Amino acid sequence: MGFVLALLVTTLSGSLIQTQFNLAALAALGAEISLSTRLTTSLQDLLGFAPLYAGMVVLSLAASIPLAALSRRWLALPPALLYPLAAALGLWLALLVADTLAPMPTLIAATRSLSGTLAMLGGAALGGLVYACCRAGRTS
Amino acid sequence: MKRLSIWLAAPLLAGLAHADYRLETVAEGLEHPWSLAFLPDGGMLVTERPGRLRLVDADGALREAPVAGVPEVFAEAQAGLFEVMLAPDFADSGLLYLSYAYGDITANNTCLGRARFNGEGLSGGEVLFCASPAKRGAAHYGGRMALLPDDTLVLTLGDGFDYREQAQNAGNHLGSLVRLSLDGRVPDDNPFLGDDRARPELYSIGHRNVQGIVYDDQRDELLINEHGPRGGDELNRIQPGANYGWPLTTHGVDYTGARITPFRELPAFTPPLLHWTPSIAPSGMALYRGDAFPDWQGDLFVSALAGQQVRRLIRDEGRVVDQQVLFEELGARIRDVRVGPDGYLYLLTDHADGALIRVVPAS
Repeated sequence: MGFVLALLVTTLSGSLIQTQFNLAALAALGAEISLSTRLTTSLQDLLGFAPLYAGMVVLSLAASIPLAALSRRWLALPPALLYPLAAALGLWLALLVADTLAPMPTLIAATRSLSGTLAMLGGAALGGLVYACCRAGRTS
Repeated sequence: MKRLSIWLAAPLLAGLAHADYRLETVAEGLEHPWSLAFLPDGGMLVTERPGRLRLVDADGALREAPVAGVPEVFAEAQAGLFEVMLAPDFADSGLLYLSYAYGDITANNTCLGRARFNGEGLSGGEVLFCASPAKRGAAHYGGRMALLPDDTLVLTLGDGFDYREQAQNAGNHLGSLVRLSLDGRVPDDNPFLGDDRARPELYSIGHRNVQGIVYDDQRDELLINEHGPRGGDELNRIQPGANYGWPLTTHGVDYTGARITPFRELPAFTPPLLHWTPSIAPSGMALYRGDAFPDWQGDLFVSALAGQQVRRLIRDEGRVVDQQVLFEELGARIRDVRVGPDGYLYLLTDHADGALIRVVPAS
């Protein structure tokens, strides 16, 4: 359950974040982005972008969460810090692998900038935090 | 010359007459051939993307040794040697133009060079233009050329993929067409001249990756095709100084499925004559003028990579009124399509073992 929630939170937040970065780039060119356009585009990306992104997030969480659990033997970090960190690092690695394998220089346009990449990693950290909370609820 | 011995009735769309043709392989073993030029003696020059210029003799034999004197190119992914185009006075001067990627993976862009061809090799090479800024990566270079009747040439460029917003910035060359005199100078009547913030070479902006260009002398129209992302490949009629909207407008979405923009068209930008959604990945483009295929007179032919076909675009007063899919039976990515002086179509297949194919009437 915690994994599924982490996947949902990471995917949905990541989709919404990348939409806002793409729209911000257009606004910087002078485009007028109304609230309704912003909402429509965000929804379209949840339908169009999120499924592919979910695949990437599944793979990254499937690796990062077990590794984080394993690392607790040596790392004395609280779960609420450890799992967000692991989820963010996992996504960062997934983005690097995707950019290496994909024919284009950068697969996800929002990650062309450091700020966009950090924001996407923030979404993954949020997913990791949700996982940590679910895990704490289960063990308490 | 090896004949494929395939007699084909082209696949038809409704309302089109049959066009019977035969495909002949002129040359094989070309590594990602990109463009070709017809020499006055009946031979052909073919570029290979890794950086070689090959000579096909008038009798159809491919010379084993590449033409010497080709400039050093940056060859990686989409980068490499692109187009070869003969100067209008080639028969007297021997001058030809080459477009190519130059630099390395961290800093590169499209350049235009000119050299003299003596039938064996190139000499007197000079660099006439390099697009700036140099960018990272090996994607989206444009690289096609067309001659205009006023003794200028237009070179197509790309947005470098990661730099798509720069296609709206007239302060650089990314995602644009540039127009130069035949010796590389900026013509006095270029449309952005006088704008201190704009590059003087610019002819139009707001393009993604322009892969085909044709000047229609009868209609006095410059036409280009360009790759969209996922969907939104475009055929555009070029107006000097116009902005074609990328990435603020497109009929496509990103390869990830994300919206690049909410806008398909906006009043400030010139819309395409047509768009291909889903994409066919248009590459070269030719305008048919010849005697071999009378039904094709005045039609546009657009070769396609992902689509593995050539689209025949039937026009009426400049408007595309119908399309016909051709040469799918090759099962090959097609990099370029040309009309030879003999009136036959010539195709280049985009493979490591690519071929030069001639399309002749079946009878």
